Amino acid sequence: MRKIVLTLSAGLVVAAAAVPARAHHAFAAEFDAKQPVKFEKAVVTKMEWTNPHSWIHVDVTMPDGHKEAWAIEAGTPNVLFRRGFTKDALKPGTAIVIDGYRAKDGSHRANGRNLTLPGGQTLFLGSSGTGAPEEKR
Amino acid sequence: MKISARFLLTFAVVAAATIAALSQGKVPGLRGNASTGGPRTAWGAPDLQGIWNTNTFVPLERPAQYGTRATMTEDEHAKALAELQERNKRPGRDSRDVGGQPGLGTEKDVARAYNEFWFGDKPARLSYRTSMIVDPQDGRIPPLTPEAAKRIADKREFLAALLQGTSGGRPGPISPRRNETSPDYNLDRVNRADGPEDRGGPERCFGEGVPVVLGTGTFGGVMQVVQSPGSVSIYYDVGQGSGYAWVVPITNRPHLPASVRLYRGDPIGHWENDTLVVDITNFSDETNFHGARQNLHLVEKIKRVNANTLSVQFTAEDPTTWTRPWTAVQELEKADEKTTLVLEGGCHEGNYGLMGLLINTRAAEKAFREGKGPDPATQDNATGGGDN
Amino acid sequence: METRSIWRGAFLAVGAVAVALAVSSIRMTGQGSTRDGRMPDGRPNLNGIWQAMNTANWDLLPHAVRPAVAQPGVYANHPVLAAPVLALGSVGLVPAGPGVVEGNEIPYKAEAAAMKRDNAEHWLDRDPEVRCYMPGIPRAMYMPYPFQITQSAGKIQMVFAYANASRTIFLEDAPKPPADKWMGHSVGHWEGSTLVVHVTNFNDRTWLSRSGDFHSDALDVVERLTPITSDALRYEVTLTDPNVYTRPWKMSMVLYRQLEESPTLMDFRCLEFVEEPFLGHLRKNQLVKHWEGDTIVLDVTRRVPEGDKKYER
Repeated sequence: MRKIVLTLSAGLVVAAAAVPARAHHAFAAEFDAKQPVKFEKAVVTKMEWTNPHSWIHVDVTMPDGHKEAWAIEAGTPNVLFRRGFTKDALKPGTAIVIDGYRAKDGSHRANGRNLTLPGGQTLFLGSSGTGAPEEKR
Repeated sequence: MKISARFLLTFAVVAAATIAALSQGKVPGLRGNASTGGPRTAWGAPDLQGIWNTNTFVPLERPAQYGTRATMTEDEHAKALAELQERNKRPGRDSRDVGGQPGLGTEKDVARAYNEFWFGDKPARLSYRTSMIVDPQDGRIPPLTPEAAKRIADKREFLAALLQGTSGGRPGPISPRRNETSPDYNLDRVNRADGPEDRGGPERCFGEGVPVVLGTGTFGGVMQVVQSPGSVSIYYDVGQGSGYAWVVPITNRPHLPASVRLYRGDPIGHWENDTLVVDITNFSDETNFHGARQNLHLVEKIKRVNANTLSVQFTAEDPTTWTRPWTAVQELEKADEKTTLVLEGGCHEGNYGLMGLLINTRAAEKAFREGKGPDPATQDNATGGGDN
Repeated sequence: METRSIWRGAFLAVGAVAVALAVSSIRMTGQGSTRDGRMPDGRPNLNGIWQAMNTANWDLLPHAVRPAVAQPGVYANHPVLAAPVLALGSVGLVPAGPGVVEGNEIPYKAEAAAMKRDNAEHWLDRDPEVRCYMPGIPRAMYMPYPFQITQSAGKIQMVFAYANASRTIFLEDAPKPPADKWMGHSVGHWEGSTLVVHVTNFNDRTWLSRSGDFHSDALDVVERLTPITSDALRYEVTLTDPNVYTRPWKMSMVLYRQLEESPTLMDFRCLEFVEEPFLGHLRKNQLVKHWEGDTIVLDVTRRVPEGDKKYER
């Protein structure tokens, strides 16, 4: 009996020992895998540099030409700050491309699964004229 | 009384000897022995101040192949560094594949949230130390007690039951346990969102706990120390705004009564020569440190090893969780005061995520009731993110 | 005779050292003692736990007692406690206070004055303090909760019990902040015995009181902390915000040191407790529904706002 208990403990030690990834927000509970969105023509109106996730507000021109206001959830602004960007980095009027998933309640909210500039460069990484100094280290 | 020369001489000698002897000990404020280098504050205490971080990767636990060895050989280091560099090349969240198949439209792809760019740079330097854990000898967290093993297993079974019948869990019907309260104060990611208590600590913006083990590199976080004779004020900037301020009083007072439980415990500090010793008890059950909950007893030892190195050691003890205490050491590097950002913690203020999670779960349940969507209980809204 | 004098010398030496130790212990183990008003660099010793003793957090202007949430009574100018605070009785009242604003007037622009009145009427729905959000500066300094100062030559760290808010006052090597902060960015210097702090880079999310006083992200604050004694500080604040006020204005008050033997800053951790008010309406099954006292019965109805409003924090 004792042996079994010890083995159980040892096994669990191995499992428990793996340092878990930081359990940040469960996006799958919020955004719908069955409602992917891809906005080729989105223009930034405002960026909220808040933790834990920044929010990029955009005006999106839909295929039929009408415009909709959307809010896109992105990552922590702290990483942007550490990469040298400041809050002037994403100016209103900047064109971006959004690839993500719509909120389950059908509201105009989506996560920025992949955010790029129209040329395909990762947003911020590929940004020029954003006021970011050269990447450190 | 006549004051003779002999009296005066004896007085002077004994006084000097007493002072010298006592300055080896625990009395705060007196000059400690200066034999271990490192700067001093204006009042003579070891100076722990500055902004500290680390750019060198050391795993918490020792990989089994190193046995009881605390340091790698040159060959082992070269091999481990090559492996680290290989791991760094993995696409991680940048990949849109799940399990080797195109992943667009899967729950796991949604769970990855955004791409690797938002997670900072990968560690480039690898330490020769095989683990942060220096005791026990094998460099690993000691075994759990049977009591802890059972409570952790019970919780894992609860989590597994709530994933049963979804793409992220074992096959089977939707479990009736979906109507049960968690067997412990929940801090894990549960496949349910009946209310805020079903969500993990980070999702509720609880903030980082105690102790803090900084990560490596740009997203690893920083520790800022400001010091006075009576207090050491530490600020951790970690995670997605999960940082916090922690004041360690230099005091002889006893710990708060056991009935008072605190998220970051009750820290009391004193100096032992050049080391700041912080004793922390009174944790609440809202904390989980590698399985230890409210009975955790932590002793931190912080020492300025030299001008550019701060050694932060902790000994974790909990007889209701581990069969013996364990000790780990993290060595931090001094970061440039002017260019290293110490950013404001703040998560709760911007926690649209928790609100959105609840709003959209209620919306999904409503859609199901109206026959317009799948049963949320059949979905895996818990696993995923990172590499999986 | 000689032996006795040796022994006497020895005992007196140990005794003298013990006394000296005791005195220096008192000087050093406390966060800053009443006897030692100066730091080694000659500056006033601000180390310790401090707290304001006034009603500024309720209302910066002079005020009589009134309900925290009010409804008109029999007479229009004598309001009574409204439902959210009814059962609290006297605990649901705002205590009277002589105010802390120089000239007893906050010089709001006309539309801002209207906004303040609107804020005051809706303070339960809007006050960031009610949500356990960071309080900003200067509000953190006069909330009814203590804060701890740790002072070194290069930085002064303030940790507030309320919501674990904190700020670093940079006395040298001040970095440039990349974005706005709830607690602003504090750069300080000494003018004799006065600590002068210039706080900028605020966002527009904090209030100055529970009475709806607010500012924009253009807020600029200059604080002056001057010891009156080693255990009391005069705290003066000049606020400038051209978007909201017609001119700079000033508040002034005293901050008092906690003199208990081992003052301990305990976190006012409100986060978990405000989930029920602010997320409870999104639970699958409502939790707080009904309350009964001897003479009052309360039924609670939660409501989920429509559209984008349901996401408003």
